[in-house]
Amino acid sequence: MKYMLMIYDNADTRDLFSSEAGQELMAQVNRVMDDLTESGELIGGEALADPSETRTVVREGGVPVATDGPLAEAKEHFGGYLLVDVESVDRAVEIAMSWPHQPIEVRPLMNAGGTEM
Amino acid sequence: MNRRGDTERLLRELAPQALGALVRRHRDFEACEDALQEALLAAADQWPREGIPDNPHGWLVAVATRRLIDAVRSDEARRRREEALAAEPVAPPGPEVDDTLSLLLLCCHPALTPASQIALTLRAVGGLTTAQIAAAFLVPEATMAQRISRAKSTLRADGIAFAAPGPDDGAARMASVLHVLYLIFNEGYTATSGPRLQRVELADEAIRLARLLPAEGEAAGLLALMLLTNARRTARTAPDGALIPLAEQDRSRWDRAAIDEGVALVSDALVRGPVGAYQLQAAIAAVHAEAPIAQATDWPQIAALYGLLERVAPGPMVTLNRAVAVGMADGPRAGLAIVAELDRSGALDGHHRLDAVRAHLLELDGRREAARAAYERAARRTTSLPEQRYLRRRALSLSSTPAPAAAAPQQRRSPPGA
Repeated sequence: MKYMLMIYDNADTRDLFSSEAGQELMAQVNRVMDDLTESGELIGGEALADPSETRTVVREGGVPVATDGPLAEAKEHFGGYLLVDVESVDRAVEIAMSWPHQPIEVRPLMNAGGTEM
Repeated sequence: MNRRGDTERLLRELAPQALGALVRRHRDFEACEDALQEALLAAADQWPREGIPDNPHGWLVAVATRRLIDAVRSDEARRRREEALAAEPVAPPGPEVDDTLSLLLLCCHPALTPASQIALTLRAVGGLTTAQIAAAFLVPEATMAQRISRAKSTLRADGIAFAAPGPDDGAARMASVLHVLYLIFNEGYTATSGPRLQRVELADEAIRLARLLPAEGEAAGLLALMLLTNARRTARTAPDGALIPLAEQDRSRWDRAAIDEGVALVSDALVRGPVGAYQLQAAIAAVHAEAPIAQATDWPQIAALYGLLERVAPGPMVTLNRAVAVGMADGPRAGLAIVAELDRSGALDGHHRLDAVRAHLLELDGRREAARAAYERAARRTTSLPEQRYLRRRALSLSSTPAPAAAAPQQRRSPPGA
């Protein structure tokens, strides 16, 4: 089963990685990524640029319009994701717990297969 | 037909037997596989030009063995192994089926994760390329390659031998093979879109591999189950990819030859042996297959078979399926009582199928609003796009028009007394 681990950042998260403890945090990130690669569970993952770099396209009066900044001012921003193919949701949650910072939303992917009822 | 096509088909058939013979003799799975790959390439090049040798299996094993010796020779650090290899007696021409079976048992070894078992089985026994397997499971090739290499290194690290399992674990090891084939089949069968061809081939591949097993007991049961299920494949989806429920399928499009074979297999297995879970599921599929129209389905028999299945292989999904059958045989309220019990147990907490079954039974009982709400909950919870489409459509059909003069149309769908 495929899950997206949606990693959220707040103002402190990026500072955290620049702090003295940052190196250890990065090492922890790399360990998780290496483990997932080695186990054949990792499909992909990316980190996103700072939320201030966001352009948001909205629809106004039926016409798409680009604006600066994220959709909603929020304390937490979507900061990056991991895409994994794992045995169970419990395993996906376990991976999210091993990440050096949270919150992380663990959400199943939709798939094109199905069983007739 | 062209000789290249003939050669390719033959090689795919021979590869697992040859690999089995090589691993039986030389043990090192990875080295044997590499050597066989080279032999297969040589054969694909030579045979169409020079003709197929009299003993193609022996040819492949001999060429691969030479490559194996070359590989060992070229590796200074392994010189001692060369001597050991050279001293080994020539492998007796062992029974080919046994080699294939041993290879399957090795690829499905319980020390491997299910994902690795599937990947290794399709690679080593199925003869599919890593790219084909990756495409079939919709993951990057690197991910699939990693699963295969991890499987090989686990086999090596654990020193897992290529040997017939003992009497103690024989049944468990075979169960593991059957489960892997079942997973491969389901991955292919449930595919309704995506790189369709490749995914559909997984169902055929699982059936082909199941035919390599001795046709008895649960192996026969699984083969029958897959044949009977696969017989409905073309009838189960509309041209736009929408799922067609069993009751609405055009039964003239079911594959009669596959049904006949499946029915014969499961009938034979059931009289001969201890009854197993695959046999019972195949028997249920056979009852469906034998009904010329949905209304003629022998639901009491299906309910009884689910009752047996619950005893042989208990699980909340089996109970849920029994609820459907009981609902159809004894009326929706009898089915809903089982669903309510399951709900209380919490075993299927939040699972969309619990709500989907509840919705179906509520609809049969004429409780439209409750049915609509349950269909909607199920639609939100499923991760399958076509199932979601189907469930939303059912929900919509219950909300669009208020039941016209309630009784008449509902009476027809409700069992007497409901």
